[in-house]
Amino acid sequence: MATRRILVVDDDPDIRDYFTAVLDDHGYQVTAVGDTGAALRALESFSPDVVIVDVLLPGRSGLDLLVTLRRSQRWSTTPLVVVTGVDQLLKDDCQSYLGTHAGVEGPDAVLGKPIDPATLLAVLRAIEQRQARAAS
Amino acid sequence: MPDHYAQYFEEMPCYLSVHDRNFRIIHGNRRFRRDFGAEGEFCYRAYKGRDSVCDGCPVEKTFAEGTPQISEQTLRTRDGREIPVRVRTTPIHDETGAIVAVMEMHTDISESKRLQEELAHSRQRLAQLFEEVPCYLSVQGPDRIIQHANRRFRETFGPAIGEPCYRVYKHREEQCIVCNAQAAFRDGKPFEHEEVVVSADGREINVLVTTAPLRNAAGQVEAVIEMAVDITQIRQLQSQLTSIGLLVGSISHGIKGLLTGLDGGLYLVNSGFERGDQARVKKGWDMVVRNVDRIRSMVLDILYYAKDRDLEVEDVDVAALAAELHEVMEKKAMDGGIELRFDVAPGVGSLPGDAKALRAMLVNILENSLEACRSDPGKKDFQVTMSVRRLDPWMVIVVEDNGIGMDRETREKLFSLFFSSKGSKGTGLGLFIANKIISKHGGTITVDSEPGRGSRFVIRLPLQPRPSTRPVVEENAVATVGPGG
Repeated sequence: MATRRILVVDDDPDIRDYFTAVLDDHGYQVTAVGDTGAALRALESFSPDVVIVDVLLPGRSGLDLLVTLRRSQRWSTTPLVVVTGVDQLLKDDCQSYLGTHAGVEGPDAVLGKPIDPATLLAVLRAIEQRQARAAS
Repeated sequence: MPDHYAQYFEEMPCYLSVHDRNFRIIHGNRRFRRDFGAEGEFCYRAYKGRDSVCDGCPVEKTFAEGTPQISEQTLRTRDGREIPVRVRTTPIHDETGAIVAVMEMHTDISESKRLQEELAHSRQRLAQLFEEVPCYLSVQGPDRIIQHANRRFRETFGPAIGEPCYRVYKHREEQCIVCNAQAAFRDGKPFEHEEVVVSADGREINVLVTTAPLRNAAGQVEAVIEMAVDITQIRQLQSQLTSIGLLVGSISHGIKGLLTGLDGGLYLVNSGFERGDQARVKKGWDMVVRNVDRIRSMVLDILYYAKDRDLEVEDVDVAALAAELHEVMEKKAMDGGIELRFDVAPGVGSLPGDAKALRAMLVNILENSLEACRSDPGKKDFQVTMSVRRLDPWMVIVVEDNGIGMDRETREKLFSLFFSSKGSKGTGLGLFIANKIISKHGGTITVDSEPGRGSRFVIRLPLQPRPSTRPVVEENAVATVGPGG
């Protein structure tokens, strides 16, 4: 497997460290940032293959980042995984938020916290396989 | 008098009598004789057992004025019954036109008196019902002026009669935009709505209001009656239930975030051991400790929120409290690479307060400041300073950090329940509770902050006891200590 670049966006330094360790141990190259502003800068400098983003962030939310990416020329097809600890109530809020942005495709996967390493890796593998099928 | 007239006189279904100027009864019909005795008696003796003429005697007045008189009196029969009567008198003239006698007719009005009394009683019962019904009742005219209001209404909203309802209910000078009293006048139908009104002493009261038209005999709406039921407690309960729902959601969200942090710590510890990488084990273990610590303070916050306890007031030695906090927070600050400074002026003394609550409040504020530093990716050197000064009449505690800072929205919502800017790490309880503790002590908290620059919390706690921090007198002490307290 070619080294793939993952951008992690989470405001909790512990979760950034956790994801970085797991992904690094499994051959991924990782950049982890704490907010959407830093994420937009990292997109330019790091060119990730997959973005993993938390929903609740200080300032602009992870869903804001999703909409920005989906509407951009360069990142519209970059797989995006949303990480959330919110319950059904807030999931409905997420859907109604996305509903106000017509034509925006939802995330490639949603990961509910708490997240064990196997689930995190399985989600990334599923995305890779989907991309491989689409390319062949 | 022809015989048949005499017979009519005799059989009239009322008391008929003829009196001379000396108040002697010249004639009396059968019914009169039966109840009041023989002719030739003085009327005042026959009717009332008196020895002199009654005050305002209608016979006397008829002789004097020559005109018929009408009055109401109570007569006493020979067998002692009292009979309310309507008295009509008329003069009897001779050929020269002189008054020679007065005819008196007494009609028994016992039944109508009984009905009148019953009516008065019913009216009084109805008025009592209106007065005592346990809701706010008022009657308003087409001009929205309150014509009647029951006791509860007057007690809550003041002497409202003659005032427009919008002034009484809402302390406003114009009619409300949506007015159901007006709608009841217009449509002649009852209406129901819910709203918030304000009592004379400024309390907000949630009421369920039913407005119904009152019609006159011709069927026209003359007034409206308004019944307002106080549902404040129900609304408060609903709001508490909503809060509990939000709390559950917030806790579940917070715990999921903390569990992810613990997962991370365990992963680093396990993989560190496998590789023999001590630095990784240390990093993982710190993560575990930090997240367990966060769970602990979250649980304490929840407990504090769940139980609205009375303050356990004592003389709190502020310097000692600061020293204890310094010790507790030092390690946390060092782990985050943050310099923690305590600057307590000499002789700050003590203040009346609940030491445990004040400690929990300051831990929340200090943790918030440490978190603000940890969340700031833009700097390398972080400081959190807590300073304490005695500035009569306040103990002023300032907690300052050079962390990530807050935008205006965050600043404004900072002390709101369930508001958190910490993403996955916050429950939105900590600063809400801190603010509540400060308010309970009669103090204030203000915050000054800018994104990127840091935040400065200024807490002022009164040095003199307030009602909530006044020492409890011995006889009440038992009542104020909660279970397990």
